[in-house]
Amino acid sequence: MAMAAFRREGRRLAPLISPRPITAVRSSPLPPTHEDEGPIGVRYISTQVVRNRMKSVKNIQKITKAMKMVAASKLRAIQSRAENSRGLWQPFTALLGDNPSIDVKKSVIVTISSDKGLCGGINSTSVKISKALHKLNSGPEKENKYVVLGEKAKAQLVRDSKKDIELIITELQKNPLSYSQVSVVADDILKNVEFDALRIVFNKFHSVVSFLPTVSTILSPEVVEREAEAGGKLGDLDSYEIEGGETKSEILQNLAEFQFSCVMFNAVLENACSEQGARMSAMDSSSRNAGDMLDRLTLTYNRTRQASITTELIEIISGASALEG
Amino acid sequence: MASNAAVPFWRAAGMTYITYSNICANLVRNCLKEPYKTEALSREKVHFAISKWTDGKPEKPSKSFFLPL
Repeated sequence: MAMAAFRREGRRLAPLISPRPITAVRSSPLPPTHEDEGPIGVRYISTQVVRNRMKSVKNIQKITKAMKMVAASKLRAIQSRAENSRGLWQPFTALLGDNPSIDVKKSVIVTISSDKGLCGGINSTSVKISKALHKLNSGPEKENKYVVLGEKAKAQLVRDSKKDIELIITELQKNPLSYSQVSVVADDILKNVEFDALRIVFNKFHSVVSFLPTVSTILSPEVVEREAEAGGKLGDLDSYEIEGGETKSEILQNLAEFQFSCVMFNAVLENACSEQGARMSAMDSSSRNAGDMLDRLTLTYNRTRQASITTELIEIISGASALEG
Repeated sequence: MASNAAVPFWRAAGMTYITYSNICANLVRNCLKEPYKTEALSREKVHFAISKWTDGKPEKPSKSFFLPL
Protein backbone atom coordinates (compact mmCIF):
# COMPACT_ATOMS: atom_id res chain seq x y z
CA MET A 1 0.00 0.00 0.00
CA ALA A 2 2.67 2.40 1.05
CA MET A 3 4.87 1.27 -1.77
CA ALA A 4 2.12 2.02 -4.24
CA ALA A 5 1.81 5.51 -2.85
CA PHE A 6 5.57 5.98 -3.14
CA ARG A 7 5.51 4.90 -6.73
CA ARG A 8 2.63 7.14 -7.63
CA GLU A 9 4.38 10.13 -6.15
CA GLY A 10 7.60 9.05 -7.70
CA ARG A 11 6.27 8.78 -11.19
CA ARG A 12 4.87 12.25 -11.01
CA LEU A 13 8.17 13.73 -9.96
CA ALA A 14 10.57 11.47 -11.74
CA PRO A 15 11.17 13.30 -15.02
CA LEU A 16 11.96 16.50 -13.23
CA ILE A 17 14.23 15.29 -10.53
CA SER A 18 16.15 12.49 -12.07
CA PRO A 19 18.91 14.56 -13.68
CA ARG A 20 19.80 16.14 -10.34
CA PRO A 21 21.20 13.99 -7.62
CA ILE A 22 19.65 14.88 -4.30
CA THR A 23 21.88 13.87 -1.48
CA ALA A 24 19.32 14.17 1.23
CA VAL A 25 17.24 11.28 -0.04
CA ARG A 26 20.01 9.06 -1.29
CA SER A 27 19.56 6.73 1.64
CA SER A 28 15.90 6.13 0.83
CA PRO A 29 14.96 2.54 1.54
CA LEU A 30 13.08 2.18 -1.74
CA PRO A 31 14.47 -0.47 -4.07
CA PRO A 32 14.85 0.57 -7.67
CA THR A 33 11.67 -0.41 -9.47
CA HIS A 34 12.43 0.28 -13.07
CA GLU A 35 11.53 -3.21 -14.31
CA ASP A 36 7.83 -2.56 -14.61
CA GLU A 37 7.48 1.18 -14.91
CA GLY A 38 9.37 3.91 -16.65
CA PRO A 39 12.57 3.73 -18.63
CA ILE A 40 15.79 2.44 -17.11
CA GLY A 41 17.86 5.06 -15.35
CA VAL A 42 14.98 7.05 -13.99
CA ARG A 43 15.22 7.50 -10.27
CA TYR A 44 11.98 7.52 -8.34
CA ILE A 45 11.94 9.99 -5.55
CA SER A 46 9.13 10.58 -3.26
CA THR A 47 8.66 13.68 -1.18
CA GLN A 48 7.34 11.47 1.57
CA VAL A 49 10.85 10.26 2.39
CA VAL A 50 12.14 13.80 2.68
CA ARG A 51 9.19 14.72 4.84
CA ASN A 52 9.86 11.85 7.22
CA ARG A 53 13.52 12.73 7.36
CA MET A 54 12.68 16.31 8.15
CA LYS A 55 10.43 15.22 10.97
CA SER A 56 13.08 13.02 12.53
CA VAL A 57 15.77 15.70 12.24
CA LYS A 58 13.42 18.14 13.92
CA ASN A 59 12.85 15.70 16.77
CA ILE A 60 16.57 15.13 17.21
CA GLN A 61 17.09 18.86 17.34
CA LYS A 62 14.47 19.16 20.06
CA ILE A 63 16.19 16.46 22.11
CA THR A 64 19.67 17.97 21.80
CA LYS A 65 18.31 21.39 22.71
CA ALA A 66 16.72 19.93 25.83
CA MET A 67 19.94 18.16 26.75
CA LYS A 68 21.82 21.41 26.35
CA MET A 69 19.43 23.14 28.73
CA VAL A 70 19.81 20.38 31.30
CA ALA A 71 23.59 20.47 31.04
CA ALA A 72 23.61 24.25 31.40
CA SER A 73 21.59 24.20 34.59
CA LYS A 74 23.66 21.35 36.05
CA LEU A 75 26.82 23.22 35.14
CA ARG A 76 25.74 26.31 37.02
CA ALA A 77 25.09 24.25 40.14
CA ILE A 78 28.36 22.41 40.02
CA GLN A 79 30.63 25.21 38.84
CA SER A 80 30.50 27.20 42.07
CA ARG A 81 31.20 24.04 44.07
CA ALA A 82 34.17 23.17 41.92
CA GLU A 83 35.57 26.67 42.25
CA ASN A 84 35.08 26.64 46.01
CA SER A 85 36.78 23.26 46.33
CA ARG A 86 39.98 24.66 44.84
CA GLY A 87 40.74 26.15 48.21
CA LEU A 88 41.10 22.64 49.58
CA TRP A 89 44.18 21.55 47.69
CA GLN A 90 46.00 24.86 47.42
CA PRO A 91 47.44 24.79 50.98
CA PHE A 92 48.71 21.27 50.35
CA THR A 93 50.46 22.27 47.18
CA ALA A 94 51.95 25.23 49.02
CA LEU A 95 53.26 22.90 51.71
CA LEU A 96 54.21 19.75 49.83
CA GLY A 97 54.46 21.00 46.28
CA ASP A 98 53.36 19.12 43.21
CA ASN A 99 55.97 16.76 41.84
CA PRO A 100 54.76 15.44 38.52
CA SER A 101 58.24 14.41 37.46
CA ILE A 102 59.09 12.33 40.51
CA ASP A 103 60.64 8.97 39.77
CA VAL A 104 59.21 6.16 41.88
CA LYS A 105 58.79 2.41 41.62
CA LYS A 106 55.09 2.02 42.14
CA SER A 107 52.88 4.60 40.58
CA VAL A 108 49.15 4.38 40.52
CA ILE A 109 47.32 6.39 37.89
CA VAL A 110 43.86 7.48 38.94
CA THR A 111 41.90 8.22 35.79
CA ILE A 112 38.78 10.26 36.37
CA SER A 113 36.04 10.18 33.76
CA SER A 114 32.29 10.47 33.52
CA ASP A 115 29.68 7.74 33.64
CA LYS A 116 27.68 9.13 30.76
CA GLY A 117 28.68 9.93 27.21
CA LEU A 118 27.69 12.63 24.74
CA CYS A 119 30.12 15.06 26.24
CA GLY A 120 32.75 15.62 23.61
CA GLY A 121 36.31 14.46 24.08
CA ILE A 122 36.91 14.88 27.79
CA ASN A 123 36.92 11.18 28.59
CA SER A 124 39.26 10.22 25.78
CA THR A 125 41.54 13.10 26.78
CA SER A 126 41.95 11.81 30.30
CA VAL A 127 42.44 8.25 29.04
CA LYS A 128 45.06 9.46 26.57
CA ILE A 129 46.93 11.38 29.26
CA SER A 130 46.78 8.36 31.57
CA LYS A 131 48.22 6.10 28.90
CA ALA A 132 50.95 8.61 28.18
CA LEU A 133 51.82 8.74 31.90
CA HIS A 134 51.85 4.97 31.97
CA LYS A 135 54.29 4.86 29.07
CA LEU A 136 56.40 7.65 30.53
CA ASN A 137 56.83 5.92 33.86
CA SER A 138 57.25 2.38 32.64
CA GLY A 139 60.59 0.72 32.83
CA PRO A 140 62.34 -2.24 34.41
CA GLU A 141 61.38 -2.82 38.04
CA LYS A 142 58.64 -0.29 37.77
CA GLU A 143 55.02 -0.89 38.34
CA ASN A 144 52.17 1.13 36.92
CA LYS A 145 48.59 0.47 37.83
CA TYR A 146 45.33 2.10 36.92
CA VAL A 147 42.50 3.05 39.20
CA VAL A 148 39.56 3.97 37.02
CA LEU A 149 36.68 6.21 38.00
CA GLY A 150 33.68 6.24 35.66
CA GLU A 151 32.20 3.99 32.98
CA LYS A 152 33.69 5.76 29.99
CA ALA A 153 37.35 5.46 30.91
CA LYS A 154 36.66 1.88 31.98
CA ALA A 155 35.32 1.04 28.53
CA GLN A 156 38.41 2.51 26.87
CA LEU A 157 41.03 1.11 29.23
CA VAL A 158 39.59 -2.40 29.43
CA ARG A 159 40.21 -2.68 25.69
CA ASP A 160 44.01 -2.57 25.79
CA SER A 161 45.29 -2.09 29.34
CA LYS A 162 43.29 -4.79 31.05
CA LYS A 163 46.29 -6.22 32.88
CA ASP A 164 47.13 -3.02 34.68
CA ILE A 165 43.72 -2.20 36.05
CA GLU A 166 43.60 -2.46 39.80
CA LEU A 167 40.31 -0.91 40.79
CA ILE A 168 37.22 0.35 39.01
CA ILE A 169 34.78 2.69 40.66
CA THR A 170 31.55 3.72 38.99
CA GLU A 171 28.16 5.25 39.71
CA LEU A 172 29.73 8.02 41.70
CA GLN A 173 27.37 10.65 40.38
CA LYS A 174 24.08 9.02 41.30
CA ASN A 175 23.77 11.43 44.21
CA PRO A 176 25.10 14.96 44.18
CA LEU A 177 28.83 14.83 44.83
CA SER A 178 29.80 15.46 48.40
CA TYR A 179 33.04 15.41 50.29
CA SER A 180 32.01 12.43 52.43
CA GLN A 181 31.29 10.39 49.32
CA VAL A 182 34.58 11.19 47.65
CA SER A 183 36.48 10.68 50.88
CA VAL A 184 35.06 7.16 51.22
CA VAL A 185 36.18 6.47 47.65
CA ALA A 186 39.63 7.84 48.46
CA ASP A 187 39.73 5.69 51.56
CA ASP A 188 38.90 2.59 49.53
CA ILE A 189 41.60 3.40 47.02
CA LEU A 190 44.15 3.86 49.81
CA LYS A 191 43.20 0.54 51.37
CA ASN A 192 43.26 -1.43 48.12
CA VAL A 193 46.38 -0.28 46.32
CA GLU A 194 50.01 0.04 47.22
CA PHE A 195 51.70 3.11 45.87
CA ASP A 196 54.68 5.38 46.04
CA ALA A 197 52.97 8.03 44.04
CA LEU A 198 49.38 8.55 43.03
CA ARG A 199 48.82 10.44 39.83
CA ILE A 200 45.31 11.78 39.46
CA VAL A 201 44.32 12.59 35.89
CA PHE A 202 41.30 14.79 35.37
CA ASN A 203 39.98 17.65 33.26
CA LYS A 204 40.32 20.92 35.07
CA PHE A 205 37.46 23.27 34.38
CA HIS A 206 38.69 26.48 32.85
CA SER A 207 35.69 27.84 31.04
CA VAL A 208 32.64 26.35 29.36
CA VAL A 209 34.65 25.60 26.25
CA SER A 210 38.10 24.83 27.59
CA PHE A 211 39.18 22.06 29.91
CA LEU A 212 42.78 21.47 30.73
CA PRO A 213 43.84 17.89 31.21
CA THR A 214 45.63 17.99 34.54
CA VAL A 215 47.78 15.65 36.58
CA SER A 216 48.01 15.96 40.35
CA THR A 217 50.67 13.93 42.06
CA ILE A 218 50.38 12.69 45.59
CA LEU A 219 53.36 11.06 47.22
CA SER A 220 53.27 8.41 49.87
CA PRO A 221 54.57 9.55 53.28
CA GLU A 222 57.75 7.50 52.89
CA VAL A 223 58.60 9.16 49.61
CA VAL A 224 57.84 12.59 51.04
CA GLU A 225 60.24 11.92 53.88
CA ARG A 226 62.91 10.61 51.54
CA GLU A 227 62.58 13.60 49.28
CA ALA A 228 62.61 16.00 52.22
CA GLU A 229 65.88 14.52 53.40
CA ALA A 230 67.35 14.69 49.94
CA GLY A 231 66.56 18.38 49.88
CA GLY A 232 65.15 19.98 46.78
CA LYS A 233 61.61 21.21 46.66
CA LEU A 234 60.52 19.36 49.76
CA GLY A 235 63.60 20.36 51.76
CA ASP A 236 61.74 23.18 53.44
CA LEU A 237 59.51 20.73 55.22
CA ASP A 238 62.01 20.37 58.07
CA SER A 239 61.67 24.00 58.99
CA TYR A 240 58.11 23.40 60.16
CA GLU A 241 57.61 22.78 63.82
CA ILE A 242 55.47 19.85 64.85
CA GLU A 243 53.15 20.29 67.76
CA GLY A 244 51.92 17.54 70.01
CA GLY A 245 53.36 14.15 70.71
CA GLU A 246 53.33 12.68 67.20
CA THR A 247 56.36 11.89 65.20
CA LYS A 248 57.00 13.37 61.82
CA SER A 249 56.17 10.18 59.94
CA GLU A 250 52.79 9.93 61.65
CA ILE A 251 51.99 13.51 60.75
CA LEU A 252 53.09 12.94 57.19
CA GLN A 253 50.95 9.87 56.85
CA ASN A 254 47.85 11.67 58.10
CA LEU A 255 48.70 14.59 55.88
CA ALA A 256 49.19 12.44 52.79
CA GLU A 257 45.88 10.69 53.35
CA PHE A 258 44.02 13.92 53.87
CA GLN A 259 45.75 15.48 50.90
CA PHE A 260 44.66 12.59 48.71
CA SER A 261 41.01 12.87 49.71
CA CYS A 262 41.01 16.64 49.23
CA VAL A 263 42.70 16.50 45.85
CA MET A 264 40.34 13.71 44.80
CA PHE A 265 37.35 15.78 45.86
CA ASN A 266 38.52 18.71 43.82
CA ALA A 267 39.42 16.51 40.84
CA VAL A 268 36.06 14.77 40.81
CA LEU A 269 34.22 18.09 40.99
CA GLU A 270 36.36 19.70 38.31
CA ASN A 271 35.85 16.74 36.04
CA ALA A 272 32.09 16.72 36.61
CA CYS A 273 32.06 20.43 35.84
CA SER A 274 34.07 19.95 32.65
CA GLU A 275 31.73 17.12 31.67
CA GLN A 276 28.68 19.36 31.88
CA GLY A 277 30.48 22.14 30.03
CA ALA A 278 31.59 19.79 27.30
CA ARG A 279 28.13 18.30 27.04
CA MET A 280 26.68 21.76 26.74
CA SER A 281 28.91 22.76 23.85
CA ALA A 282 28.54 19.35 22.17
CA MET A 283 24.77 19.58 22.33
CA ASP A 284 24.87 23.17 21.16
CA SER A 285 26.82 22.27 18.05
CA SER A 286 24.66 19.24 17.35
CA SER A 287 21.46 21.28 17.52
CA ARG A 288 23.10 23.75 15.18
CA ASN A 289 24.03 20.95 12.79
CA ALA A 290 20.50 19.61 12.95
CA GLY A 291 19.23 23.09 12.09
CA ASP A 292 21.56 23.27 9.07
CA MET A 293 20.45 19.86 7.91
CA LEU A 294 16.83 20.84 8.33
CA ASP A 295 17.39 23.95 6.22
CA ARG A 296 18.96 21.90 3.45
CA LEU A 297 16.18 19.34 3.53
CA THR A 298 13.50 22.00 3.52
CA LEU A 299 15.11 23.64 0.51
CA THR A 300 15.24 20.35 -1.38
CA TYR A 301 11.70 19.53 -0.42
CA ASN A 302 10.28 22.89 -1.44
CA ARG A 303 12.18 22.94 -4.70
CA THR A 304 10.88 19.51 -5.61
CA ARG A 305 7.35 20.43 -4.70
CA GLN A 306 7.54 23.65 -6.67
CA ALA A 307 8.90 21.79 -9.66
CA SER A 308 6.09 19.27 -9.63
CA ILE A 309 3.50 22.03 -9.38
CA THR A 310 5.09 23.83 -12.31
CA THR A 311 5.00 20.68 -14.42
CA GLU A 312 1.40 20.09 -13.64
CA LEU A 313 0.54 23.65 -14.58
CA ILE A 314 2.46 23.34 -17.83
CA GLU A 315 0.69 20.10 -18.58
CA ILE A 316 -2.73 21.62 -17.96
CA ILE A 317 -2.04 24.78 -19.89
CA SER A 318 -0.52 23.03 -22.85
CA GLY A 319 -3.39 20.57 -22.87
CA ALA A 320 -5.88 23.42 -22.82
CA SER A 321 -4.13 25.32 -25.57
CA ALA A 322 -3.96 22.13 -27.66
CA LEU A 323 -7.74 21.79 -27.35
CA GLU A 324 -8.28 25.41 -28.33
CA GLY A 325 -6.03 25.26 -31.30
CA MET B 1 43.76 17.52 73.62
CA ALA B 2 42.24 14.12 73.35
CA SER B 3 43.30 13.58 69.76
CA ASN B 4 46.96 13.49 70.67
CA ALA B 5 46.53 10.31 72.58
CA ALA B 6 43.95 8.87 70.18
CA VAL B 7 46.09 8.53 67.07
CA PRO B 8 47.73 5.19 67.80
CA PHE B 9 44.37 3.70 68.75
CA TRP B 10 42.49 4.42 65.55
CA ARG B 11 45.53 3.52 63.52
CA ALA B 12 45.64 0.20 65.32
CA ALA B 13 41.98 -0.33 64.48
CA GLY B 14 42.90 -0.17 60.79
CA MET B 15 41.44 3.23 60.16
CA THR B 16 42.92 5.85 57.96
CA TYR B 17 42.91 9.53 58.72
CA ILE B 18 40.05 9.90 56.27
CA THR B 19 37.79 7.47 58.12
CA TYR B 20 38.72 9.08 61.41
CA SER B 21 37.95 12.58 60.20
CA ASN B 22 34.69 11.39 58.65
CA ILE B 23 33.59 9.91 61.94
CA CYS B 24 34.47 13.14 63.70
CA ALA B 25 32.61 15.17 61.07
CA ASN B 26 29.57 12.98 61.51
CA LEU B 27 29.72 13.52 65.23
CA VAL B 28 29.65 17.25 64.67
CA ARG B 29 26.76 16.90 62.22
CA ASN B 30 24.80 14.99 64.84
CA CYS B 31 25.18 17.89 67.22
CA LEU B 32 23.02 20.12 65.03
CA LYS B 33 19.48 21.02 66.02
CA GLU B 34 16.62 19.26 64.36
CA PRO B 35 15.61 20.88 61.09
CA TYR B 36 19.28 21.32 60.14
CA LYS B 37 20.34 17.93 61.40
CA THR B 38 18.30 15.80 58.97
CA GLU B 39 19.18 18.20 56.19
CA ALA B 40 22.88 17.88 56.87
CA LEU B 41 22.69 14.12 57.23
CA SER B 42 20.69 13.63 54.05
CA ARG B 43 23.25 15.68 52.13
CA GLU B 44 26.00 13.23 52.97
CA LYS B 45 24.77 10.14 51.16
CA VAL B 46 27.43 7.77 49.94
CA HIS B 47 26.80 5.64 46.93
CA PHE B 48 29.17 4.07 44.41
CA ALA B 49 30.09 0.73 42.92
CA ILE B 50 33.58 -0.63 43.29
CA SER B 51 35.22 -3.70 41.79
CA LYS B 52 38.73 -4.95 42.28
CA TRP B 53 40.58 -6.29 39.24
CA THR B 54 43.47 -8.69 39.12
CA ASP B 55 45.18 -9.91 35.96
CA GLY B 56 42.64 -8.36 33.66
CA LYS B 57 39.57 -9.81 35.31
CA PRO B 58 37.22 -8.45 37.90
CA GLU B 59 38.03 -10.36 41.04
CA LYS B 60 34.63 -10.35 42.63
CA PRO B 61 31.29 -8.98 41.57
CA SER B 62 31.19 -5.29 42.13
CA LYS B 63 29.48 -4.15 45.23
CA SER B 64 27.60 -1.00 45.92
CA PHE B 65 27.87 1.07 49.02
CA PHE B 66 25.04 2.69 50.83
CA LEU B 67 26.51 4.08 53.97
CA PRO B 68 24.39 6.44 55.95
CA LEU B 69 27.50 7.44 57.84
